Amino acid sequence: MVNKKAEKLFAAIIVLYLLIIVFPFIWVGLTSFKPESEIWGSEALKVFSNNSTIEHYQALFKANILNSLKNSFIISSITTIYVTLVASFCAYAIARLKFRGKNILLSVILATSMFPQMIVIGPIYNAFVKLGWTNSYFITLPYSMITLPVAIFILVTHFAKVPKEMEESASIDGASKMRTFIKIILPLALPGIFTSAIITFIGVWNEFLLSLTLNSDSNYHTATVAISFLRGQFQIFWGQVTAATIVVTIPTLIIVILFQKQIISGLTSGAVKE
Amino acid sequence: MNKILKFFDRHLAYIMIIPAIILILLFSILPIVESLKYAFFDFQLNDQKKSGIYMSSNYNIPLAEETFEYIDYYLEIEESAVQKSETSQYIIQLRGDMKNYQQEINSILGNKSGIVETNEENIAAIKKINTDIYSALGKLYEKDDVFNSEEDMLAVASELDTSIIDSNFIGLDNFKQILRDTRVVYTLTVTLIFTVISVFFELVLGLLLALIMNKAMKGRGLIRTISLIPWAIPTSVAALMWAYLYNGSSGIVANVFSTIGIIDQPTDLLLTAKAAIGAIITADVWKTTPYMALLLLAGLQVIPNSLYESSSLDGANKLKQFKHITLPLLKPSIFVALLFRTLDAFRVFDLIWVLTGGGPGGTTESISIYAYKVMFAQTRFGYGSAMVLIMAIAVGIISYAYIKILDVKIIGE
Repeated sequence: MVNKKAEKLFAAIIVLYLLIIVFPFIWVGLTSFKPESEIWGSEALKVFSNNSTIEHYQALFKANILNSLKNSFIISSITTIYVTLVASFCAYAIARLKFRGKNILLSVILATSMFPQMIVIGPIYNAFVKLGWTNSYFITLPYSMITLPVAIFILVTHFAKVPKEMEESASIDGASKMRTFIKIILPLALPGIFTSAIITFIGVWNEFLLSLTLNSDSNYHTATVAISFLRGQFQIFWGQVTAATIVVTIPTLIIVILFQKQIISGLTSGAVKE
Repeated sequence: MNKILKFFDRHLAYIMIIPAIILILLFSILPIVESLKYAFFDFQLNDQKKSGIYMSSNYNIPLAEETFEYIDYYLEIEESAVQKSETSQYIIQLRGDMKNYQQEINSILGNKSGIVETNEENIAAIKKINTDIYSALGKLYEKDDVFNSEEDMLAVASELDTSIIDSNFIGLDNFKQILRDTRVVYTLTVTLIFTVISVFFELVLGLLLALIMNKAMKGRGLIRTISLIPWAIPTSVAALMWAYLYNGSSGIVANVFSTIGIIDQPTDLLLTAKAAIGAIITADVWKTTPYMALLLLAGLQVIPNSLYESSSLDGANKLKQFKHITLPLLKPSIFVALLFRTLDAFRVFDLIWVLTGGGPGGTTESISIYAYKVMFAQTRFGYGSAMVLIMAIAVGIISYAYIKILDVKIIGE
């Protein structure tokens, strides 16, 4: 029933919206192939360069960006694996098992996800200094603070969706609860577990504050922090900055394109009652 | 074996939640409690006497022993330097006295070793002994004789007091200081302005886009994928990207803004306070509006179409439908999106840290940035923690206000 004019207007708005989203990436991408001399001065706003170059990307190999990508990948993977495991157990218990203090646990989890992270950073930093854990992969441990609540909430909604009959028939067959969980529930909840793992991975990959504070040695920088240091105090090489931006964006882009459905289901599982 | 399995089965719920509880305790609850404690102390890492949390006064015995050794060492030097036998007699007596003073201090503290916790009374007694020592040594130099190291001796003697570590518990002083700190007021204002304006635009634009996307027939997958990108990239990367677009000489956005007259010159964008805050808000709106739209779109899609159909049969127009069907049914989605976005915006850190670093001249500092600088640049953890505590209270008030205003139940569905 929508009339043609409105439809055209809506289409125009959507196109404009998509252009605004992608424009910065395209412009930054174009800049990353310009020689430094054309990034400044009168030619700065030219769309294409006549002397395209990949020197900025080559410079990145010498800088610490690749190493920081490796760090980000290791730290995000470790965190994702153990947080998903711990969250699966906890979420299943919350969704399906009876125990005392369930509401208290839920409130605590919700509250910790709302607190500003700045409140834990001082004590965690001091503890890490005392334990000699700064500049190491031990940083994966406090990452549970930012990722665990979200993972638990996503998983609770997924476990709650698994039909109860599955457990009932298994218990009639004499299977233990643990066995039922591993053999029957987990496979059924796998899409949800995958969703929560992706959201966790992105959350850790993008984290800045803990990484900046706990791993200040450039050998242990994660990508988000390493890239922020490209913005030097006195001089900025935009060529390198833009090239690094593109390189760091690519992994995220791949994840988004491959797992768009899972990510959206994860993001909205708490927001929408079904 | 069977028994273990049975035990496992009976207590499965607790066994399953224990790992999560341990992590939450260690990395959320414990640090929050610790941070609360910091807020009541004058805890500064760069000041040796305040680099810990001292509820009561302490006395550093090893440090005192070292100081007494130095005093004795200088007395020995003076003994060989002086000419008159009367003076050297006095020095010998002094060296004995010093041993007695040291003994006295140790017995006051109960002959312990290491850093000893003690009370105010004992500290006062020790302070008195320290003054006695200082004046006894001073008398030595009033004598008419040849001395070698008067300055060193008096400097060392005055070090005696550094063994006394006063309690750095200061009660509510940090909070009183916050009330007087104009930079707290300013950064809090910046944070509030940023939060209100950016969340307002994100909600309105997000809702508008969600409504349009809900109507769109073609390319939904593409629209969703592209909408996810700004949310999915790291904030620091987005900030850096915008820093490039905003920069005064080669930034295209800065140039476009100055051409259409939003700013006078391209360089003004990041170099004047108002424009820089506007630039930060624009970057945040760019990054978060698509996310908001996706959340609200998901909420729109669970509203059954039949509701619209029957109401249009009843003659309701689009506006009425929006007011009486869409908005009420979308309320839970709006609540969740609004609450979490507001809390996120209120603690904004990465975006400002990378985009402006708080500049120009600290004018775009949010409260998070200021608290972080206080803690990690000035190492004043006590004061910084008090500031963060104020933030946490504000977060609580914001959440409570949303729950009341939008009248939504969070837990217990």
